[in-house]
Amino acid sequence: MGFVRNIPSTSTHHSLSDLVFPLVSQRLPHRRSLNTSPRAGGEGAQPLSAFASSTSSSTASSSPSLSSSQERTGSPSLGDLVRPDFPILHQDVNDFKLVYLDNAATSQKPFAVLKSLSEYYETYNSNVHRGIHYLSSKATDAYEQARVKVAAFVNASEPREIVFTRNATEAINLVAYSWGLSNIKSGDEIILSVAEHHSAIVPWQFVAQKTGAVLKFVELTTEEVPDIKQLKGLISNKTKIVVVHHVSNALGSLLPVDEIAHWAHAVGAKILVDACQSVPHMAVDVQELDADFLVASSHKMCGPTGVGFLYGKISLLSAMPPFLGGGEMIADVFEDYSTYAEPPSRFEAGTPAIGETIGLGAAIDYLSTVGMQRIHDYEKELASYLYDRLKAVPKVHIYGPAPTSTVHRAPLCSFNVENIHPTDIATLLDEQHGVAIRSGHHCAQLLHRRLGISSSARASLHFYNTKEEVDVFIEALKDTISFFSSYL
Amino acid sequence: MSSAAARPFPGELIRGLRSAAEPRSSFVSVRRLSVVSFPLAFQWFSWPKSRSPLRPVRSQQPQQQQQQQEEAVDLAVLPQGLREIISLFQSVSDPKAKYQQLLHYGGRLPPLDPRYKTEEHRVRGCVSQVWVRAFPDPGDPAAVRFEADSDSALTKGLAALLVLGLSGAPAPAIARIPPEFVHLLGLRQSLTPSRNNGFLNMLKLMQLKALQLYAQGGGDPATNSASGEEIASSDGSIGSVITEVPEGREANSGVNGNRVDHRPALTSIQEVSEVNLDAVDDISPAPTGGSGGRAARIRERLQRELLPLELELEDISYQHAGHAGVRGSSDGETHYNLRIVSKEFEGKTLVKRHRLVYDLLQEELQTGLHALSIVAKTPSEVGMK
Repeated sequence: MGFVRNIPSTSTHHSLSDLVFPLVSQRLPHRRSLNTSPRAGGEGAQPLSAFASSTSSSTASSSPSLSSSQERTGSPSLGDLVRPDFPILHQDVNDFKLVYLDNAATSQKPFAVLKSLSEYYETYNSNVHRGIHYLSSKATDAYEQARVKVAAFVNASEPREIVFTRNATEAINLVAYSWGLSNIKSGDEIILSVAEHHSAIVPWQFVAQKTGAVLKFVELTTEEVPDIKQLKGLISNKTKIVVVHHVSNALGSLLPVDEIAHWAHAVGAKILVDACQSVPHMAVDVQELDADFLVASSHKMCGPTGVGFLYGKISLLSAMPPFLGGGEMIADVFEDYSTYAEPPSRFEAGTPAIGETIGLGAAIDYLSTVGMQRIHDYEKELASYLYDRLKAVPKVHIYGPAPTSTVHRAPLCSFNVENIHPTDIATLLDEQHGVAIRSGHHCAQLLHRRLGISSSARASLHFYNTKEEVDVFIEALKDTISFFSSYL
Repeated sequence: MSSAAARPFPGELIRGLRSAAEPRSSFVSVRRLSVVSFPLAFQWFSWPKSRSPLRPVRSQQPQQQQQQQEEAVDLAVLPQGLREIISLFQSVSDPKAKYQQLLHYGGRLPPLDPRYKTEEHRVRGCVSQVWVRAFPDPGDPAAVRFEADSDSALTKGLAALLVLGLSGAPAPAIARIPPEFVHLLGLRQSLTPSRNNGFLNMLKLMQLKALQLYAQGGGDPATNSASGEEIASSDGSIGSVITEVPEGREANSGVNGNRVDHRPALTSIQEVSEVNLDAVDDISPAPTGGSGGRAARIRERLQRELLPLELELEDISYQHAGHAGVRGSSDGETHYNLRIVSKEFEGKTLVKRHRLVYDLLQEELQTGLHALSIVAKTPSEVGMK
């Protein structure tokens, strides 16, 4: 077998983060994102310029060989440093070392999160907000503390602006059913892009069907990125809400959400930001973006499945009717009617995923310890490395914009290989090389149709992946392509 | 690389079967063990030693159950073409070579006429696009032929495998094929019902289409009563597997879909073995019903060809009258227990013995004999000389 199978335990190359944060010891610097400290340089709004500064050095690492252009030797990358924290990564799959490159689908969990989950269930599991006894208090405190952590993580102005849901999909449905149905009328317009995830599209189709509103879609440019100019042109005084992703799960592109919010607000429209692919990978500041609603899922940011959150401006949430009815979201209950609690409780009916929410809090602690800026910088480097190496493989077509000094890509690539079905690629990568990628439409059928394809393969990275893993993936891909080419 | 047309050596076939089964020590002939769960039973399949052989497999862990099902795939239920393909795959041990074999099959599949690439022929829920078409064999109205296509090479390979393996078989035989046979190929193929399980959904669609053809063609309701009922219930579950239903229901019907073929047979373990325990050296008369004289025909054939020292044939169709009865037919003559002692079995493995019996009863199998539970012994094995 000619491809790289074994990942060396110590890296022989360096990462950008070493230049930014020289590592003296193995201990990670303690970085906690607090509500009080202003966002350093408005990270959420400045990825463009931040990327620009690192582009020049990252292009140097585009050569396929492992030796880097940097002079120093032996410093491990951020991926190398954090990998030991993620137990699931250290296993064999189909007799090969697992190379997990499906992070846009779900991320892996560090020990800290796993520990918090078992600690919850082993020592203080109890229903929240209801009981008076010791365990219940402890659980309630931890649960509400998680809310505080999430609020701080996205720089909400207060914890009440965070509503816990099952996932981002449920959060979007909450906005659609609660805010949408009571604020949108026949003839109103809802703006989406063709690159949205199904979860951001379908709930608004429900709203349009029920209210008679119209859905307007922003198309792609020739660079395969949503056309911002067209978006601006579509916004009118009929627009009630603009629903856009922050980072695309298929194209890897980032949208200037703060600008879009500005345009929307100018006509009195709201903006809902799908931040599922951004919150895990960079610092996101809802106040900086001036988002009205923002959603994310815990499982994509190293937290457990079963919990996600909606950020909403408290003025909006306070005016919204309930979504799900039941315990917890009520104030008083009578036979014919009930009165409802204030947000966020108003939107949290029934017993929540308590342990999982606390686990999300632990995930945020972990991410904050590593540092979102550090994660972002490392991933930018991974992103270009992945893109450059993948682009160099013959017959591969990558979707989405090419990274330039002004266009920023996330560390993921959706791609197709000429004449080979992505499912075939993904199957053999898994069976013959232990490399996990995804094939399909990635919950973006509209996008795929626009791109003129039925499905694509997607490799998506997170900060615990390494360049060595990208190398394994590329070699495995080449091997797979030649295997199929000889039969087709 | 051997061509798919080559007949497998029996040895290879047996080796392959054995590799899927447990060692023969559990074949020691205890009367109860000889009565097995599936129609056209094989004796070589073994029960886990820790549990009573009479208990249905339902209560086991899913993995164990899958293993059980793996071991319990009754090759005689599979069409000849499929058996050959299985043995071919088993003769190749390197996974990469198996994939090459699969691609090779796919490459041999002729492209499907574009006018058949419609929703009606599309396999639901595939990550790749797959179309399947069934039509009656022009040369043999009872047989079904298939065509298929896919844009994914591996899926096309699986489709080709199914097309080659299933074409030419009659619809009831196709409907009886358990999905578990795919495990015998040695490819990593999940059988969990889900919208993404292309192989399972392909097989189910082919089975459904075969049955639809069969229903249109009009099989003989009397002789095919039992299989008719099975078809109806298979039909129901097959239908619900492939339509877009919520995950939970899919899983249920998927499991039921797997089980329907087994359930009547599973109950027969207890019933039949209980009967057997009671009727030791007793040739029980066939219950009333069945004027076709099948029992007599079977006896006559076996007597003539195998010169048995012992021959016991028991019509247990009444035990399956439940599902046959729904069809309004109680003609019986569909399920039998056979115990036969003959010198002809000397030197033959169990598989070969059963094969021998089936070959002799081909005509019966074609005309409504649905299940035959066989105990085949040599004289020395039962203490005779």
